Amino acid sequence: MAPRLLALIPLAVGINWAMGQFVAATHLPVYLDTVGTVLVAALAGISPALATGVVSQTVLATLGGNVIWLWFLPVQLAVAALAGLAAQRGGFASWRRAVVIGAGVGALAAALSAPIAFFAFGGVTGGGVTVITTVLRALGVPLGPAVVMASVVTDVLDKAVTFTLVRSILIALPGRTAARFPATGRALGRS
Amino acid sequence: MIVRLQGLVFRYPGAQEPALRGVTAEFWPRDITVVTGRLGAGCSTLLLAIAGLAPRATGGEREGDVTTLGCDPASAEGRLALAGDVGLLFPTPWTQLSGMAYTVWDEVAFTPANLGWSRDQIGDAVDRSLRLLDVEHLAARDPRTLSGGELQRVMLAAVAVTQPRVYLLDEPTLQLDPAGAAAVYALLPALAGDAAVIVATTDVDRAVEVADRVMLLDDGRVIGAGAPDDVLGGAGAVTAGVSTTVAEILRAAECPGPYPLTVSGAQRLMKR
Amino acid sequence: MIVGFRPGAGFLHRAHPFTPLAITVSVALLAFVLPGTGGPLLLLLAVSLLAVAAGVGGVLAPALVLAIPFWLFLIILHGLLDATPDRAVLIGARITAMLVTFTTAVAVVHPARLVDALLERGLPFSVAYLFAATLQAVPRLRERAREILDAQRCRGLRVRGSLLNRATAVVPLAVPLVLGALTEVDERAMALEARGVGAATSRTPLAPPADHPVERWVRWALLALPAVVLVVRFVG
Repeated sequence: MAPRLLALIPLAVGINWAMGQFVAATHLPVYLDTVGTVLVAALAGISPALATGVVSQTVLATLGGNVIWLWFLPVQLAVAALAGLAAQRGGFASWRRAVVIGAGVGALAAALSAPIAFFAFGGVTGGGVTVITTVLRALGVPLGPAVVMASVVTDVLDKAVTFTLVRSILIALPGRTAARFPATGRALGRS
Repeated sequence: MIVRLQGLVFRYPGAQEPALRGVTAEFWPRDITVVTGRLGAGCSTLLLAIAGLAPRATGGEREGDVTTLGCDPASAEGRLALAGDVGLLFPTPWTQLSGMAYTVWDEVAFTPANLGWSRDQIGDAVDRSLRLLDVEHLAARDPRTLSGGELQRVMLAAVAVTQPRVYLLDEPTLQLDPAGAAAVYALLPALAGDAAVIVATTDVDRAVEVADRVMLLDDGRVIGAGAPDDVLGGAGAVTAGVSTTVAEILRAAECPGPYPLTVSGAQRLMKR
Repeated sequence: MIVGFRPGAGFLHRAHPFTPLAITVSVALLAFVLPGTGGPLLLLLAVSLLAVAAGVGGVLAPALVLAIPFWLFLIILHGLLDATPDRAVLIGARITAMLVTFTTAVAVVHPARLVDALLERGLPFSVAYLFAATLQAVPRLRERAREILDAQRCRGLRVRGSLLNRATAVVPLAVPLVLGALTEVDERAMALEARGVGAATSRTPLAPPADHPVERWVRWALLALPAVVLVVRFVG
């Protein structure tokens, strides 16, 4: 793997983790823990994004002690791949595109994470999603649909914000930095 | 001759103007050459070009010839042939850390291990390099806990460990306090050995103490090369602000040129 | 400082780094295939005793603290709302056993030893490097995020208010963090290349950990155990 990617990926994983600080400070009902991965997808393409997803999930599980995250690796990989595909097709070219594609990726991510949460952990993954699941359950919704609904709401919001945030970062890139990552132009719809 | 540049022109990607405009120079073993000039004159770029990292790692376009130790350092074959023979030190110690070492010993061993040296060879080389740079007492420390000065000395040890034939030091004392900076420059003659040492720096006050030659760049061109006194002692260099503080003071005091560059040189002048 | 690692001389510290990893994988699988609520509970007991025996009983407290939110939701969802307390205990024990064994593994495996072990087994250097470098990079970026947050707050950034307000507040936090990180990429990449990354065919492990044939058998047995249990359950 090229040294440039070896230098980029650890930083991208750091961004995944550090966004948690900002989320906590603003009390937003999202995770934003894939900002780094999606950013790598836009800057460098699908394979580096997949690598970022794998490294992110394993290292952050190790640092946080939360081994449960490892079971959700397929979700991270799906997000990485979809973000890469979207970037290739100018998915970050406008705010509307970023929001809509982000929401779409979120829905697909939920389609993957809900079954894992339900079958492996009885719908309990310990985060904000589980809070929503519990509330829905208390309102009488059966567990399965409750998990699905909670996952969809959380993931759609989370990924829509993530993709929008990544677009603002791509726009803010100084010319010289953007020149080092040629894929950026395509992601923003310029060629 | 270890490094030969012929009409070197280099332009960074997306840049309007070239960073280097036709540099022709030669660098020899056992010489310490200080490359200096105003900010943006192209000194760092020159080092990167000699190492082949410009354009291989930076992107951009290069014209002219660069021959380092007999090969083109930017080519794939050149890169393999030169691995371990060209030692490059960057201004900020922290960004040069390997990122995977938990002791200074492992950090210094990073390069030879990457080059596939045997464990015995690595052991001898690391021990020797730590001794040379006087950082043996830090061998078991975590590099992330060191001060800027200590870390830069460790990184210099990490560069010296493969006994390179060319040392390229880019602003090696930028992040260091005066004591740390003085310590680094004091070590350079010992490193030079049989190698060519090329230092790009604006810290000429210290650098001229150890320099055998000075090369002055301005806007990507060589405007002076030779003995330090010749290149930096003239009124032109002093008024341009690229000479040493001593020279500037003497010029401001309206002494006639050429100006001595160091305190000891000034003392000699005043005795006469 | 290595997050989660506890220096020591217990038998797991001295073991080959793959052994605690094999234990973790085995336990993770066993947590799902062991029968009833008793199975995972016994598993939890076993891994807790293992942690103590290995001299890292100190991981039990943090692991249990991590498990608390799970238990809370399990009790509410499965204990109260569904009236299936058995399921709550089953899943709770499953999750807690995995947490304990994972924190134990992290406590006894030194990252540098693991990297050397992986390299010796032929793992490509890129992979080992990514894990090792990320372990060091992440805390650093966390620190920088904290600094940016403080700095922006000093400049009057408001992080309360409406949802939209708070969402837009993230931008002047995230952008400096990312841009700062990206400017480092080039210099780090050049330093890596200058230091021989990618030059030779394979990197020399600096201190490859010793491995005993007995340990190898133990690892295979551990990994085979869940399969055996699964077969026994179907047959019996």
